[in-house]
Amino acid sequence: MNPIEATRLAVESIWANRLRSFLTLLGVIIGIASIIATAAVIQGLNVYVSEKLSNLGKGVFTVQRIGLITNRQDFLDAVRKNRKLVPADGRAIALRCPSAEKVAWETHATTDLKRGTNEALDIDVGGVTAGILEIEPYEVGEGRILAEHEDAGAMQVAFLGHQIAERLFPGVDPIGKEMRIRGQAFTVVGVAKKKGSFLGFSQDNFVKIPFRTHRKVFGGTRSINISVKARDAARMVDCADEVRAVMRARHHLAPGDADDFSFLTAEGINDLWRGLTKTIFSVALFVVGISLVVGGIVIMNIMLVAVVERTREIGVRKAVGARQGDIVQQFLIESVLLSCLGGAIGVAIAFGASELLAAYTPLPAQFPAWAPPAAFGICTLIGVFFGVHPARRAGRLDPIEALRSE
Amino acid sequence: MANATDEVIRTQALARSFAMGSTTVHALRGVDLVIRRGEYVAIMGPSGSGKSTLMNLIGCLDTPSAGEYWLNGQPVAKLGQDDLARIRNREIGFVFQTFNLLARATALRNVELPLIYAGVPPAERRERAAQALREVDLGDRMDHRPNQLSGGQRQRVSIARALVTSPALLLADEPTGNLDTKTSHEIMTLFEGLHRAGNTIVVVTHERDIADHAARVVTIRDGLIASDEVQARGAAS
Ligand SMILES: Nc1ncnc2c1ncn2[C@@H]1O[C@H](COP(=O)(O)OP(=O)(O)OP(=O)(O)O)[C@@H](O)[C@H]1O
Ligand SMILES: [Mg+2]
Repeated sequence: MNPIEATRLAVESIWANRLRSFLTLLGVIIGIASIIATAAVIQGLNVYVSEKLSNLGKGVFTVQRIGLITNRQDFLDAVRKNRKLVPADGRAIALRCPSAEKVAWETHATTDLKRGTNEALDIDVGGVTAGILEIEPYEVGEGRILAEHEDAGAMQVAFLGHQIAERLFPGVDPIGKEMRIRGQAFTVVGVAKKKGSFLGFSQDNFVKIPFRTHRKVFGGTRSINISVKARDAARMVDCADEVRAVMRARHHLAPGDADDFSFLTAEGINDLWRGLTKTIFSVALFVVGISLVVGGIVIMNIMLVAVVERTREIGVRKAVGARQGDIVQQFLIESVLLSCLGGAIGVAIAFGASELLAAYTPLPAQFPAWAPPAAFGICTLIGVFFGVHPARRAGRLDPIEALRSE
Repeated sequence: MANATDEVIRTQALARSFAMGSTTVHALRGVDLVIRRGEYVAIMGPSGSGKSTLMNLIGCLDTPSAGEYWLNGQPVAKLGQDDLARIRNREIGFVFQTFNLLARATALRNVELPLIYAGVPPAERRERAAQALREVDLGDRMDHRPNQLSGGQRQRVSIARALVTSPALLLADEPTGNLDTKTSHEIMTLFEGLHRAGNTIVVVTHERDIADHAARVVTIRDGLIASDEVQARGAAS
């Protein structure tokens, strides 16, 4: 029998039992839908993260006291061993690394902001040298960024994140107005463009003030993060090597000692992120794999039931000349079609879910283009794997006994 | 004496036994039977004598425990399942007491079924199936499902299905067993027409007047042929 004919038969019999077919497929539907939805969320996040990181600028890296930490022990070791970075380190790098085009640094503190009765609590206040606003570009919405001389003079001026400006100056143009940081008066010189939120965290609630002003207000003990922009983005690694040499000399490290500071690059963050999402995805894949196996077993079970129910039909077909292979083919196509139908429904649900997630939640879900063909392939495999046994049982039925059944 | 190629069926010591736990049921115990092209044979005998068992063997639905069977001069007793399927498809039309139609399919689809397995392309298939249905007077019932047809009509659908591949041999195991007397005679009239048209027909029946339609009556008792007689044509009517 030709496959088109067999497919038609399979469609007819799936349709004849549509409610049962649908219920049978729940396992496959849920499995496929959830794995694709997970992938959609991860893919969306990946795209988002890559985009953000590419904003960070080509050839830029940061030297930090403590780098990206993936476990508690590393963190504790770093806190114990690594020395604080100080502005003198930054000046040494600027002086002794010929391939560094720009060096700037930033330090952080968290405090409350006030303007009259308007308040913003626990806000990250960054003390920056002027260059940092260029290395890590902050797009200016209104006013201007901080100037060199404001740092030199430790002037009390501030550059606000969009959300802070809105909270402290609702309906008012903040430029030139005054606000209080830790009780001290600051003049607003600029407001950044809105950046939006990521995973529900606003990226617009920050304040930048000149580095020396920060030291004055918050004291001089906090470690700094030193941002370096390489002259040639393609040779960032060489630049980082120069910086490493300078830092190791300053910290008097012996040749065998590990660095007691760390580098942060866009690629480094990206790698860490990808590694993390890969782990999430493989855990999800494992869990879903189990549900697909269960789904496959349910399909096998329902196909075995179908073989029993349709024993007489099989007998009739054999009596008029169907060969074993024709019957096997018919049932195999039916189980593959059944499982692919489940896959298709799952893909449709995942598509809807990722559109909804993207529209109504902070998750930037993105439906992956590879999902439909992958689901099709996996479901075909499930259909064949779990369909072979029932199909062969059907094919081997003895015509006389099959006709006599009921 | 007729030429050997004239023989549609030749069996020799054909036997079939069934193992039932510790005992063995000998349903057929050595049947020698020759049926020639164009013959119309009725097989009679008491219930349990082995008529259906013989028909299933002749129809290649079953394989013998012992003995030989030639169909159209070709030995089939030792053929494999797929070869038997091909013979059932091409060379034999089988009509069952219980019709054995596919409940979900229309009359036309039911009649198309053997042609599907013969690999006949759809258009030709439909044309031939429709033709076969017209031949059994069901040209106006093609889109009916079996449960929308009377018993006699169902049996005619199954006869159309048996004939649609133009088989060398038409076998019917109690084709009127589930029908009333009037409908039975309609079906037997149909068989007579098919016989006159040159078909070779073997019919199993319990009823003498049904058997009287045939030119030759073979009687089976306890798995053996008890008598085999040619009778005057038209004895019934
Ligand atoms: N599959 C089987 N397993 C065991 N015994 C069987 C089987 N098929 C037939 N028999 C036995 O073989 C014998 C002949 O059966 P068969 O069906 O050929 O009789 P029959 O002549 O067609 O009877 P009826 O007129 O009632 O249809 C019976 O004793 C029956 O019980
Ligand atoms: Mg019988």
